[in-house]
Amino acid sequence: MPRIDAHLHVFTKASAEFPREISDVWPAEREEPAEKLLDEMEKHRIDQAVLVQMAGASIANHRYLLRCLEAYPNRFLGIGLVPDGHPNPADHMAALTDNTGIIGFRFSTFGGPRDIFAKMDVREFSAYPIWKCAAERDYVLWLYPNAINAHLLPYLIQEFPQVRVVLNHLAVCPGKGKFSWDAYGRPQIQVPGYNLTMHTTYRLARFENVNVHLSGQYAFSTEEFPYKDLAGWHRGLLTGFGAKRLMWATDFPWILEEPGYGKLTTVIEELLPDLSEAELADIMGGNAKRILRFPDL
Amino acid sequence: MILPTPEEKKQWEEEGYLVFENAIQGKDLKRLQTAFDYWAEACKEEWLDSVEAGDSVATFYDIPNPLEKDPIFIDIIDYPSYYGALMAFTDHDLILLGPQVRTVAPWPVSYTGWHPDVGHDNPLHIKVQIYVNDVERGGGEFGFVPGSHKPDAGPYTRPTRQESMPGHKAFPGKAGTAIMFNSCGWHVSMDNHSDVPRKSIILIYEKRTPGRVGPEQYAAISAYCQTPERRKLFSLDG
Repeated sequence: MPRIDAHLHVFTKASAEFPREISDVWPAEREEPAEKLLDEMEKHRIDQAVLVQMAGASIANHRYLLRCLEAYPNRFLGIGLVPDGHPNPADHMAALTDNTGIIGFRFSTFGGPRDIFAKMDVREFSAYPIWKCAAERDYVLWLYPNAINAHLLPYLIQEFPQVRVVLNHLAVCPGKGKFSWDAYGRPQIQVPGYNLTMHTTYRLARFENVNVHLSGQYAFSTEEFPYKDLAGWHRGLLTGFGAKRLMWATDFPWILEEPGYGKLTTVIEELLPDLSEAELADIMGGNAKRILRFPDL
Repeated sequence: MILPTPEEKKQWEEEGYLVFENAIQGKDLKRLQTAFDYWAEACKEEWLDSVEAGDSVATFYDIPNPLEKDPIFIDIIDYPSYYGALMAFTDHDLILLGPQVRTVAPWPVSYTGWHPDVGHDNPLHIKVQIYVNDVERGGGEFGFVPGSHKPDAGPYTRPTRQESMPGHKAFPGKAGTAIMFNSCGWHVSMDNHSDVPRKSIILIYEKRTPGRVGPEQYAAISAYCQTPERRKLFSLDG
């Protein structure tokens, strides 16, 4: 069974050929290319990976991702982005998925009522056309919902039960103003001690098309690797979703310096030590291969 | 004080729950509903901001510090229709851990799965859930597995769907109904497929252990706690 890193990022220097947004963390001259990732994967016996677009949502911003997918078609699948407020998201998504290796798109908002007590008409959510398009074209939706959007998800999932959904990073829904970067250049998300997601995204386990990444531990934990304070979260997700709907990922490159790629390949064994060999193999790649339809090597 | 009948004691011991229909009624129920609705509305925007900040759950909300907001929320803590049973089951050594004055939104999925609150090594832990509005079947009503509070019951595992829990019983009820249950038992909020939010109050009690609740916890309402019984219930004298 392949070992698949189900969520990470690669990018190259900003250029006319590969335009991208820049920030303090990914300045124009920084690069974390696919070849560097492949070296790490080789060292640690990881076979395939999902490359998730970052640093811009325009078609041009996706050029480097598309180049990587073209260069290594058996190793990578891609997840794209849609610009906020795009007038025709279906066209944008179609343009990026014509035999390119991009299999889906990442979102954090759904454009429905902020108040869960409001009348919910899913057809009025601004994300409705995107989900409809995903249902028609069999895209995967890669979701990292903002906290104020979490309650909207089951309405969309109910409406489109055929859409494969992957909740990113332990199904956490980050709060407004709770994001920062740490000294190692890693995203940090401040979360309450009480795990609020057990009352929102964990409850989506009922829907068989919903899957969850076991990743991003470094961003939520108050401890060093192996992030034992999150063991309960992992057990909760395993109990709710079962071993067939969980996918391990590293969130490369943010983790390269601390704790390092190699250590993260063991994080599931550390946090879920009672898994059977078959369950571990599923989480480490079998599920990603089946759910995301990775090609045979 | 209305003490439980032999039949009620037997049901409590064997099944782990009691239902008090019309536990609160008339003027007191009206007072409770009015205070609940007023403070729920008054606190809602603050709750939504807290949800957005990732500090509160999106699927339900509790009125913060309710005991300090209206005396009716204090009066229901030792309300005669169920207080006698609470006292009897805890050998007249009862403390309040806290109230949850909770509004649960209709949602495609219940906000919680089947669970017990405490293990059998915990002092007797009792909850009383009071419906503030009528709660129909399929409207987020309380669910409980009778007998699941016993140490030799189970083992139980959490089903994906609320209605799949073997042996469970659901408790729709009229406003003013109070359901008392042993928190070792497996319980849940059933799915709410209606368009009516479930308004209820969950009162959490425990058999006293020294130092469990400090005197500062309810100091703000000490003016309402003049009798020795209330001071003990609210742990005001340490």
